[in-house]
This record gives sequence, structure tokens and C-alpha cells, in this order.
Amino acid sequence: MLLAVLASLAVFFLDSRLDYFKPVRSVLSTVVYPLQATASMPSNFVDWVGEFFQDREQLREQITVLNASNKLQSLRLQKMQALERENMRLRELLGSSFRLQERVQVAELLTVDLDPFSQQVIIDKGENFGVYVGQPVLDAHGVMGQVTETSYLSSRVVLLTDPSHSIPVQINRNGLRAVVTGRGLGETLKMDFLPHNADVRAGDQLVTSGLGGRFPVGYPVGKVVSVEFPQGKAFADIKVAPAANLSTSRELMLVLPGEKIRTEPTVDTPAASEATATVSPAASEASSTLSDSNGEDNAGEPADGNE
Amino acid sequence: MAMSDIPRNGFMIVLTIIAAMLLMMVPLPEAARFFRPEWVVLTLMYWAMALPHRVSIGVGWLSGLIMDVMMGGTLGVMAFSYAFAVYLIARFHLQLRQYPLWQQALTIFSVVLLVHFVSVMAGRPEMSWVVWMPVVTSTLMWPVIYPLLRKIRRTFQVS
Repeated sequence: MLLAVLASLAVFFLDSRLDYFKPVRSVLSTVVYPLQATASMPSNFVDWVGEFFQDREQLREQITVLNASNKLQSLRLQKMQALERENMRLRELLGSSFRLQERVQVAELLTVDLDPFSQQVIIDKGENFGVYVGQPVLDAHGVMGQVTETSYLSSRVVLLTDPSHSIPVQINRNGLRAVVTGRGLGETLKMDFLPHNADVRAGDQLVTSGLGGRFPVGYPVGKVVSVEFPQGKAFADIKVAPAANLSTSRELMLVLPGEKIRTEPTVDTPAASEATATVSPAASEASSTLSDSNGEDNAGEPADGNE
Repeated sequence: MAMSDIPRNGFMIVLTIIAAMLLMMVPLPEAARFFRPEWVVLTLMYWAMALPHRVSIGVGWLSGLIMDVMMGGTLGVMAFSYAFAVYLIARFHLQLRQYPLWQQALTIFSVVLLVHFVSVMAGRPEMSWVVWMPVVTSTLMWPVIYPLLRKIRRTFQVS
């Protein structure tokens, strides 16, 4: 028993105080991965059966909805491309730094319950796909969190709602910068350290500010739900609802480190996406690399109307 | 315990512990998440009571460490509490075997409470009464777990 106590204390100390214990932990996580994969099998199987027995009518409906939304999205994208090009030109005129282009990699959530009181999830991509600690994680609606721990086959993502997680944001309306911190289980996020005269209103959209260099600029984080100014407190009490579907999203996107768009305009994107595609031959579910096509290949064309 | 017989079918012990670990991770509906019994502790306690010479503190410590890695907590927390639980049960295994099931369940209650207390102290800033629900459900599961594992032990003649 004494031995066990000593060993526990030793491991406890090593893990929480020393950094070079990380690789050991990573190896242990890799060893444990098969167990986790097995645990997520029943629910995956249920999903699969559900999909298999979906009837024709439902599928048709789904296709109609998806088609409609696809049209809408591509319409928006057209405008977006024009705007992005314009933005780039204006930035060039200003002589400021170019925006970084981000590529994303799709990862799937491992349906495993962890400690219900910590806001963490496990995803099925690890160091074998180049996932690294601190990598931003998004879903279709906004920022979800960041990677805290990687092993060879899987990694652990801490969500925005975790009390130990903060993210630098700015308000879309007026560019006011702030920090948003989680409050744990089922609670809204909070916006810290804003004085009583700060220009914040309920309904304000928050996006990442890119300060701190960890999260890319301009991804939606959430929406201000309520602003209160409690008497006798130095700071305003601001509640924020996260934009991402933290509890329901199954497919997450890992943002790969950005590269400067203009360094190698034509070679950059295709080569990079090929490289990632070769890593994962099982393209359909394993990983597909989406790159937001900034249209840098045809940047020379005078196709924009506002020239 | 100086039992002279050779160890047999030890893999069944490992198998039940692994199954318990899987049960700890299988997704439950949102409402039931806080009521998940501490399967691994229950299994370890059964084996510590039935075969204290096979399932020692070391086994408890190791399974605790694996749970630490899987749950993403600080390493060593569960390792310590699991080893402690196994120690307590193994220390009193002769008395415990004589108890009727409900009295065993009371002992189980206090030990699981201790185990859970350690892991609650190790983290979780927000405290609410739900934190303690696994202790209650674990105790309620004991009358199910005990006959089940005994059946397994007798069928496969684990010793």
C-alpha cells in the first residue's frame, strides 16, 4: 500500500509539474485508444443502422433541403470571393500584412463519455495526421475549442465552455476587443473585464480577434445574450451564447497552420491539399482537406466588377 | 493468503475489468450521465474480496492509472484511490465474505464514497449534489454485480 501511495504521488507530481512527462502520457493514450474506440462502437452502430433503414421519402426530403442550402451557400461564396479579393487589394494598398489562408482538416468525434464535469471531447485524429497541441477546432457554425493533448491516434479537445479556457474575441459591430471565458457545464460563456461604459449590447456577434496568435481571425465565437451592470462591481456582467453546437456536432474541423497566400500563389493550394489527401486514402470519412478557395489562381484576371 | 493452488483463468479477471472500463465510457443519454456507477471500482472490489491473492493493490493501481489516462484527469489520482479501495477490501475480505449482501453494500457504499471523494477533491470547481450520485448508484448496483461476478468466477473456475 505504501508503495502504491508513493507511486501515485510520484506520478501525480511528474504529470502536473514537469513538461517532459507529456510524451509518456501520449504513449499511454495511444495504448488506451483501442478501448475508447470499442466503447464508441455501440452508438456508431446504432447510427449506422438508423442510416441504413432511412426510407426513400426522408432521403428525398433531405436532398431537397441540402440542394437548396447548397445553392444559397454557393451564392454567398461568390460574393465572398469578390469581397475577399477586394479586401486583399485594399490591404496591399495599405501595405499591411496579408491575411493568412487557412486550410482545415475534418475530424470525427469519438462518442465516448468522459467525466461529465469536464468539458472535453476526444477526436479520431492524432499525431499521425499532424494534430498538435493548441490547434484550433471549429465546427460548421463557429469555434469549438482547441486541442490540449495529442497521442498517436487520437487527441483531446477542450471546449469553449471549460472554465479553464479563454479565447480572445472582438465585437463584429465596433471592433471592441475582449476575452471570453467558459463557465462549465451547460452554462453560457462570460465576457471578462469590460468596464461599465463599454459599448456592448445584447445581440452583438463576437468573432475571434486573432490576438495571441492561436486562433485564426474572424471565426464566429458567439452572441451576446445579456449585459448587466451589477452595482458595486468594477466590471460588467456579460453572458455569451457559443455559436458552435458544442453538444451535438459530430464532425469537427481542425485548422491547419496558415500560410501566406501571396508567397506562392499557384503552387500553394493544390500541392498542399494533395499532400494531405495522400495521408488519408479513405477520403470519404477519414479526412478531406477543404481549402477556402480564395481564387488566388485567377487573381490576375480583371474579372471583378469594381475595378 | 497462502493458497497453494496454481492461478487459473486469470484472463477472466482482466476481461471483466476491461468490460467495466468500457462501461465507464459508453455514451449514456444526457439525463443518465451523472448516475453512472463506478463500474471499475465495483469489479475491483469484488475480485479483491473473492481472490485477494490475485487482485492486489498493484492491479488496482494500474487500472486506476488507465482510467486516469482515459478520462484525461491528472495522472495518479484515480490510481491512488483505486489502490486504496482494493487495500481496504483486501484487508477486511474475510469479514466481508461473511456479511449478508445488504451489509456488504453498506461497506461498498463507504468505500466508493471514499474513492469518489478523492476524485472530487482532485478537480471540479463547481460542486452540486449530482457529484455524489455515482456513489448511490454504485451501491445499488452491488447486489447485481456481486452474483454476476460470482457466477463468472464459478463457471470459469477462476482462482
